[in-house]
Amino acid sequence: MIEGQDLKIVFAGPMGAGKTTAIRAISEIDPVSTDMFNHDREQSDKETTTVALDYGQLTLEGDRILRLYGTPGQGRFSFMWDIVGAGALGVILLLDASRPDLGGDAAEFLDAFGAMDPSPQIVIGVSRLPADADQALQLIYREVENRSAMVPVLTADIRTREAVVMLIDTLLSLIEGSQPELVS
Amino acid sequence: MSKAIRENPRMIGLAAKIVEHFTQNTPGVQAVVLTTNDGFEVASARLEKSKAGKLAALGSSLQAVSEAISRESGLKSVSNVFIETENGTVILARVAGVTGGMTLAMVASQSAVLGHLVWAARNCCTALTRVFQS
Repeated sequence: MIEGQDLKIVFAGPMGAGKTTAIRAISEIDPVSTDMFNHDREQSDKETTTVALDYGQLTLEGDRILRLYGTPGQGRFSFMWDIVGAGALGVILLLDASRPDLGGDAAEFLDAFGAMDPSPQIVIGVSRLPADADQALQLIYREVENRSAMVPVLTADIRTREAVVMLIDTLLSLIEGSQPELVS
Repeated sequence: MSKAIRENPRMIGLAAKIVEHFTQNTPGVQAVVLTTNDGFEVASARLEKSKAGKLAALGSSLQAVSEAISRESGLKSVSNVFIETENGTVILARVAGVTGGMTLAMVASQSAVLGHLVWAARNCCTALTRVFQS
């Protein structure tokens, strides 16, 4: 169990991967949202898009607060990834397997968040897998292996609270393992 | 940027003229960008392309955070955001009545008179509203 302090984790990933949805599924408070009308329907056919950050909260055992931050997905807001990611112990990287360049998405976000100092622990949650899921997953495994990263890759329907809890539990276990001084 | 705006060069051209006129005729204004609320540059003045794009994205993020603070505080929609520094000011002004929302972001020198800037920006935004509502 991680003791003693509030924790900050970040939900990152490309546009439409489900970051805002995931935080909404798990937050105990009404999440703070900065969704604006989406003019770029070619990139993603969503009515709105996050342009700054999402914020939610979850209370852990011992009344510690898990602070949940979501980043914008589009590259023109990449300056927000550093700002929102500062001080995060972990990142849940949500990937959408229906996007045209799944490997490219994985690479972009693994590099962006892996370059932070100190590097946060990362867990990948993949949704919208096709019938031949293995081929899609291989694209992600390749990017993880190319970076010699220890990053679990899990399939998750992030519209459900259970899936988001599973991703968070996995990330907290990684954080616990990497920072034993936090363990009771 | 939405197809409606992108495929209407007349609208964009008019907006660019209004932004240019505001920049030329408001003492102390150093740079201006008109941005959609999801961070696309519509028009700009005295900024090279990449800088305009960056300021558009930054401005839209700041506008969105300001709207969130306002909502959480029980206040109404944001009219202006001011960033005061030692050597100048950044102001965001809302362009009302445009589908999806637009913001006028300007950088002004220390010598600019704040009240005059706000008044001139308000007039500029009113003119822009007329363009995009037509």
